[in-house]
Amino acid sequence: MSTFFHILWFKNLMFWKVSSKRDFGTVIKNLGSLVVFGSFAVGAFYFSNFITAYLLEDVKIGLFLFHRFVGMLLFVFFVTINLGNMVVSFSTLYRTPEVSFLLTSPVSYLNIFIIKFLDNFFYSSGTLFMVGFSVLLGYGVYFGMPWHFYVLMMFGVLVPFMFLAACIAVIVLLLLMKLASKVNFKLLVGGIVLFYIGQIYFYFQVSSPVHLVREVMKYYPYVDLYFGSLDPVSVKLLPNFWVSEIMYFYVTKNFTAVTGFTALLLLSTAGLFIIALAIANAFFYTTWITSLSIKSLTVKSLEFKNSLFSFGKPSMFSSQTEVILKKEFWQFIREPSQWIHLAVMMALLLIFLSSVSTLNIKLDTPELRAVVYLVVFVFNIFLINSLALRFGFPMVSLEGSAYWSMRSAPITTTKVYWIKFMIIVVFLGILSVIISWLSNIPYLYLRKIAGDQPWLITYVEPSEMVKLLAYFSMIVTPLITVTLVSLNFGLGAVYSNFVEKNPIRIASSQGATMTFLLSVVYLVLLLAVYYFPATMLFTADVKELQPDWRMLRIVFTAIVIPSMVIIAASHAAGIRSLKRDY
Amino acid sequence: MIELSHLRKTFGSFVAVDDVSLSIPSGEFFGFLGPNGAGKTTTIKMMTGLFTPSSGQIVINGFDVVKQPLEAKSTFGYIPDHPYLYDKLTGREFIYYMGGLYRMEKNDLKENVERVIDLLELASWVDKKTEDYSQGMRQRVTFAAAFVHKPRTIIIDEPMVGLDPRSARIVKDSLKQQAKDGASIFMSTHILEMAEELCDRIGIINKSKIIFLDTRENLHLHKTKYDGNLESVFLELTKEEDEK
Repeated sequence: MSTFFHILWFKNLMFWKVSSKRDFGTVIKNLGSLVVFGSFAVGAFYFSNFITAYLLEDVKIGLFLFHRFVGMLLFVFFVTINLGNMVVSFSTLYRTPEVSFLLTSPVSYLNIFIIKFLDNFFYSSGTLFMVGFSVLLGYGVYFGMPWHFYVLMMFGVLVPFMFLAACIAVIVLLLLMKLASKVNFKLLVGGIVLFYIGQIYFYFQVSSPVHLVREVMKYYPYVDLYFGSLDPVSVKLLPNFWVSEIMYFYVTKNFTAVTGFTALLLLSTAGLFIIALAIANAFFYTTWITSLSIKSLTVKSLEFKNSLFSFGKPSMFSSQTEVILKKEFWQFIREPSQWIHLAVMMALLLIFLSSVSTLNIKLDTPELRAVVYLVVFVFNIFLINSLALRFGFPMVSLEGSAYWSMRSAPITTTKVYWIKFMIIVVFLGILSVIISWLSNIPYLYLRKIAGDQPWLITYVEPSEMVKLLAYFSMIVTPLITVTLVSLNFGLGAVYSNFVEKNPIRIASSQGATMTFLLSVVYLVLLLAVYYFPATMLFTADVKELQPDWRMLRIVFTAIVIPSMVIIAASHAAGIRSLKRDY
Repeated sequence: MIELSHLRKTFGSFVAVDDVSLSIPSGEFFGFLGPNGAGKTTTIKMMTGLFTPSSGQIVINGFDVVKQPLEAKSTFGYIPDHPYLYDKLTGREFIYYMGGLYRMEKNDLKENVERVIDLLELASWVDKKTEDYSQGMRQRVTFAAAFVHKPRTIIIDEPMVGLDPRSARIVKDSLKQQAKDGASIFMSTHILEMAEELCDRIGIINKSKIIFLDTRENLHLHKTKYDGNLESVFLELTKEEDEK
């Protein structure tokens, strides 16, 4: 154990040495981070407080439904942490030179595993803790919670909940790597991807939010009561359900239930951590050896010797553009953590689109119509932003130590910057068009379901206004995409780290977190600009009033101006930082 | 041809290179020696555009590296001290990639890729990914990539790092061949014997300033003052103040 603390001590020392740099640039950067993180924490607090008040007081969904929705969000949060930890753990446990080095020293395999696992968890969860606490604070202040609520929720619920997700991730990963010595790795990864997609699909089928709302609303106005009998048994086994129960029972002051569910969560977390340690003790070294052969397997399987992307093949581009495009292609396609992650995200996107494109949005309440419309609009943009952060932000850093080859060659850094930017912006631009078209299908082909014969679906011609709102969303989404890609790519250049080889770690670095927070601020701005006009136009549509079209023009201008400023500033900063001494 | 005039580079208050002036004519093999931290790599990074000089001028083959970077860079090939390559590309792909950056015409590039693969004897492993290469293999690929566009000037930072005797011989022969073909070569090295064997002229930098600049023949005269050993000359010239 002394070896463990010895390594931990030096890791901390290293961290503080790096964090406590006093040069002007670092101080400015740190101050900037402080302002952005601080503002975001405050924003998250107000947002959570506002949403809680809005849903409970304006929409009047009641405490039970509110906490069930919290539970559903926590499920998505849990799966995200779980998948994120799995992918990052693969890199940190099996791909870092630090592990290779430690394996040659007299440190037990279990100690190496614990150090890297904890390193991984705290490295990638720092911001989530902050956001989680701000959200809790917003929620707690609304209900007038005492101080012990925050302490318990933070250290007794939120941290163990996230740690539980990380433990499951690492257990799955270790077992996957163990199996990889006998079964084809690609097959296993495919199986895991399908399993997760199936799990998400199954969860939302079983928990069925629409059914839940219908059933609970039958008891209106007594919707604060507990309707536990409506919860499917399989959902009750999930940690996100336990957390939402803890929150519900805290608010309703049923402390016996709070204690019960908290104990269940803590015991499950401790149990899974012990299981993870036992598996790591038995398998970590052997799976590390297996990972060496997986590397060559994966690479060999992705060869396209005589493809269009071969360096010897002619192309329509200039020689410099051509070789950079081909280099980027091969670097992406030969790096499993890149294409596997993209495949997973695309699969999740498909599920989202298939659900959204069949939504029945023929709702009579204009506010609800506007909310559904804006939620889909923001979710589309959020998806694009996630892809831009994950794949666009690390693009400059991934030049790595080989960046000397470009810098010493007769090509301007500005040209390199634009070529690389075009790759990601074209890809995400096309994707954004597809997403915005598919998600707006329900507005262009309104479905009408007969109340007594729900299986009979007829399509109704939507009003001109609804069509216009759908087209408006389709037009502004690509523009917003260009803005978000510019922001992520440009700041990725500003915060470039040519030493880190792992794209996932680059995309979860402090600079990436800052970028994410800035893009969230931009999203909130979009929502603020668009919420009232959208509500008013939907109201005009339902009440068959004469709409004020000028509003859309104002919204468009209000979106275009800040977007242009963000695009220009991001690229100016990005190009400038690429010209720094290398 | 390389011209450095009053070149200076500072990092905050630290002066890494101070008032360095050199002139290396076409066809000359110049050896740049100095102890660790003397300013060799900083000088080279300024010559290749990786660092911007704080003051002074660098002209390579008639082009100012700061004012006409693209023209200057088109005329030289650079081999860095650490042969970092793109891990996911093969050696052959990396050479093609570098040729493309130098705007080489497709057929010419194809021909020259084969030429440098032969020259540096890479054929048996050049189609494997560079992540599987040893240090020496990576070093040889960077040489090939630097030679592929037939540069008029070659700038090399510590060429022998990690090379086995056979690889070292291949590299030395290829450099001799380049010099014979008329390229001017600027090479920083720690290996005194190598400088003695290959270079026409030698410059020694210490504590950011040039302290010795002369031909190989004159260096031999210096050697006789000591024990006939270049190492002794080097150690004497680069001795710390308190040792003197």
